[in-house]
Amino acid sequence: MQSIINSIVKNRNLIIYLILSFITFNFLYNNSSLHSNQLGKISTFLSATSSKLLSSLSSYFSLIEENEKLINENLRLKNIDAKYRLNQIVDNSLDSISSARVIVNSINKNKNIIVIDKGTLDGVNLESGVISPEGAVGIVKNVTKNYASIISLLNTDLKLNAVLQNSSTIGSISWDGIDPKILKLNDIPLSSSLKVGDTVITGGMSFYFPKGILIGKIVNYDSNSLEGYYEIDVECFSDFSSLSNLYILNKGDNKEIKSLLNE
Amino acid sequence: MNRELFRNISFYTFILALQLLIFNQFNLFGFITPFVYLIIFIYYKISYDKTILILLGFLIGFIMDLSMQTYGCHTFSSITVCFLRARIEKSSFGVNAYLPLAMIKGTSMLSRVAFFFSIIIIHSSLYYSLIFFNVSLFGTIFLYAFINAIATFTIIWIIARLTTNK
Repeated sequence: MQSIINSIVKNRNLIIYLILSFITFNFLYNNSSLHSNQLGKISTFLSATSSKLLSSLSSYFSLIEENEKLINENLRLKNIDAKYRLNQIVDNSLDSISSARVIVNSINKNKNIIVIDKGTLDGVNLESGVISPEGAVGIVKNVTKNYASIISLLNTDLKLNAVLQNSSTIGSISWDGIDPKILKLNDIPLSSSLKVGDTVITGGMSFYFPKGILIGKIVNYDSNSLEGYYEIDVECFSDFSSLSNLYILNKGDNKEIKSLLNE
Repeated sequence: MNRELFRNISFYTFILALQLLIFNQFNLFGFITPFVYLIIFIYYKISYDKTILILLGFLIGFIMDLSMQTYGCHTFSSITVCFLRARIEKSSFGVNAYLPLAMIKGTSMLSRVAFFFSIIIIHSSLYYSLIFFNVSLFGTIFLYAFINAIATFTIIWIIARLTTNK
């Protein structure tokens, strides 16, 4: 206490000067409109700058939360989009869409598998189609309570039903295990017309995907095959090397259709 | 002590009356008004209490503001000059700063000119900065402060010579 008093006594001139300056500026602010306006401008500038700084700091720290919100928003829009598509293509087999994060991913093997952080507890079913924001990714192969593995399109075992968007010619898409960006579109007869840049979408004639999910675009084709079919290279819309968020298309009536086929 | 106090109060009153009645009426070229009352802060003896000087600066500045309707510009300039006076004194006179009448005699002319002019120019700069209160008018503020400081310095120097000779 004594040291505080000593300090005040020692710096009394400075303290008195600051108090008198405050009184003077208060007098100036209250009586002169010019100074009042200018000080008002300075205080507005200072408060705006500090608010902006605080706001950008707090928004930086809430980026994770914001990201979650965006994913949920995206999911909601995907659901709306899916419903719209369903109405258009009269396919009522899609129940819902759920989102998942990629935990394990590979592109450098022949049989690439992706693992996601959602399982049966989250409503993920076997053989559900999986898409990224850009297009089709694969099919759910195994499901545990909390995780699921996906056969990626970059898996030589997977063959999906696909069509050319322009001509509706039906074929199948698969991967030859060479270039992770290029898929092969097979079974397109030489009689059908196509060109580089044509879009390839899912055909809807499988248990996995409804019709109209984007797969890729034609980048090269060979019409000199002796078998009567094109050899077509399709560049994938999905970038498999940077997958982070995926969407699982839950179809409800797979079992029912399968039971019909088994009969 | 009482005699010295009476003499000082009489001197302050005389200078303040001179300022209010004569120099406040000056308006040379529309903006030159010598602030002769600064002689009070210049002549304030170093042996006196510095806190009293700041309070004196506040009082005189306030009276000036009331008379010139400047709403605190004189007060702030005056208390700032009074607060900085000891530092200005040291930087102007060096080791001679502790002589009781350093600002009047016993020191070199150059030191005294530097001391007088430092106090006057700091006061004028602060005063015109507050009067215009606009960064974009820096040139005008500098010009007004400088010309007014020269006018104030000339008059204060003359008064100092006259009072010292007496």
